[in-house]
Amino acid sequence: MSEPRQVNRAYQSQLRRNWWLKHGYYQRYMLREATVLPLLFFCGCLLTGLYSLQHSEQSWLNWLAFMATPWVIGLNLLTFFASLFHAKTFFELFPRVLPILPAPLMIAGQWLGTLSVALLLALLLGGVL
Amino acid sequence: MQKTLVIQRYNPEQDHKPHPQHFTVPCDDSTSVLDALLYIQQQLDPTLAFRWSCRMAICGSCGVMVNGIPKLGCKTFLRDYKDDITVEALAHFATEKDLISDMSVFLTHLQAVKPYLINHDTRPQPHQQTPKQLAKYAKFSNCINCGLCYSACPQFGLNPAFLGPAALTLAQRYNLDSRDQGKAQRMPQLNGKNGVWGCTFVGFCSDVCPKQLDPAAAVNQGKVASAADFVIGIFKP
Repeated sequence: MSEPRQVNRAYQSQLRRNWWLKHGYYQRYMLREATVLPLLFFCGCLLTGLYSLQHSEQSWLNWLAFMATPWVIGLNLLTFFASLFHAKTFFELFPRVLPILPAPLMIAGQWLGTLSVALLLALLLGGVL
Repeated sequence: MQKTLVIQRYNPEQDHKPHPQHFTVPCDDSTSVLDALLYIQQQLDPTLAFRWSCRMAICGSCGVMVNGIPKLGCKTFLRDYKDDITVEALAHFATEKDLISDMSVFLTHLQAVKPYLINHDTRPQPHQQTPKQLAKYAKFSNCINCGLCYSACPQFGLNPAFLGPAALTLAQRYNLDSRDQGKAQRMPQLNGKNGVWGCTFVGFCSDVCPKQLDPAAAVNQGKVASAADFVIGIFKP
């Protein structure tokens, strides 16, 4: 009786590092996740601002000048739009995780909440309230 | 009309890795990818290996990657593709031969979440359920175990120990069933490092599901259940 023929194992492909470049769906997902990067810069700005405020008047003025430079304004504008984009994706996913009310109602409610908080903060910081 | 299919071939007795092979098949508006594969097997190359059974998107056997997207061969039509169509074995699973994937990892994950009714009441009477109770889990109950969601899930691709969309959806389906008493047995699996928290809500699994189950929603509802289970566990004696 002949020996059974040696058979290779099943072929297992490996997921490469660029897996997310292969489909538009994955690219949109990575874009959503990448919104945290400009947000990190903004958080760094805020923390530096707090540190400058308690350090000295000169360092506070330096920080204000730094925040007014065009590239910092540009990066913070990017942060703002990235956060809005992230909020949009989050608000759309939320009704699927906690389906309490019809999805359009929940999405509208979340935007209304965001707008209310933004308005309240603007009024408070603007000295109106 | 004719179309060219570029099919991934892999013979474990001869090949070290899969390679593409071109086949030209006749087709009309009703020709599915599965029809084309059957034509190739019956008319051009009888050695082509692939799984199929029902031809009506019920059995979940004919899952393949069509132009890189997980699809059921019987539910995908050649008319929807302009150029050559690439057909490969399901991604993230090992390929046994040509378009046949080794689904044993998926089956092990399914088994781990006990996807069946667990009820300690053994009296021979029906367990009645209201339409409202049925509606809680009905949308997650149509899984045909095709495995397309696993091929769409990069988290499963990166970590095959991750229980994955279908298993976690079925766990959620039975946890939401008013007749079931097995939640306590399933939660350790869901709470574990390869459970619901391994999902990052990529959401592609819901997009490719041929039964529109929305597994991404089920898995993330599982996170709410897992968090509640954790909080309840703190206060439980």
